Amino acid sequence: MSLLDNTQLALESAMSGSMLQQSVLANNLANADTPGFEPSNVNFQQTLANAMSDGQSPTSVQYTSTVEPQTTSANGNGVDPDMTDAQIAENGLLYQDLVQIAATREGILETAMNTTTSA
Amino acid sequence: MSFFDAINISASGLTAERTEMDVTAENLANASSTNNGTPYQPQAVDLQSVGSGNSFENELVSAMGGSSQSGTPGGVEVSGIVSENVPAQLVYDPGNPQANKQGYVKEPNIQPVTEMTNMIQESNSYQADVTAMETSKQMYSDTLELLK
Repeated sequence: MSLLDNTQLALESAMSGSMLQQSVLANNLANADTPGFEPSNVNFQQTLANAMSDGQSPTSVQYTSTVEPQTTSANGNGVDPDMTDAQIAENGLLYQDLVQIAATREGILETAMNTTTSA
Repeated sequence: MSFFDAINISASGLTAERTEMDVTAENLANASSTNNGTPYQPQAVDLQSVGSGNSFENELVSAMGGSSQSGTPGGVEVSGIVSENVPAQLVYDPGNPQANKQGYVKEPNIQPVTEMTNMIQESNSYQADVTAMETSKQMYSDTLELLK
């Protein structure tokens, strides 16, 4: 067993997925007035879960965004700004959770190694 | 994909919304500019989304045979400011020096209510982009917390 276990690697992989989702959601919101724009999303949890149940290492997971056609407005734009706003807030909180769990787990490792953190 | 993608994308949205607000303000300010017989034509902003497809990074990676980091979007940009195709309206104002023989003046066909509605919508979009940017900023600073 290596120093960083699979859970730690999965946390870090999920963080990069969450960061990509943030970019994609910000892009949806920036294009809320662009005619014909179709919103995308990144289903990183599902991608990560599938990869891990297939026995892949979490570090090798590649995240991609997929276009999610929605009921469109008159100019062919499918962005719901309120929904996107909520998704962005949710993703921000999720990311914060991931960071905190990752940091706590690293803290446990540090304690086990009896190191002192220097400021 | 670079580290500050999300903030840059929100910033592109802010630029686009600000341009739209500038144009709306110009339309409102010129609501009765007759310009000596060729009245002011209301302007509109054309927006288009920026794909990541032709970025230098992606071109280089795909030219070298790697799988390009697809899925990182590029935000929004103003593709042009165009004149709206609305005919001028004739207003009866015989005392106006620019009136024709029948006493009508050509004035721009600008509806203040429509422009104000656009203004509110643009302001809301701007605010939504700012909120998204704040969330992204929080995420980056959370990442830095990891190093403490």
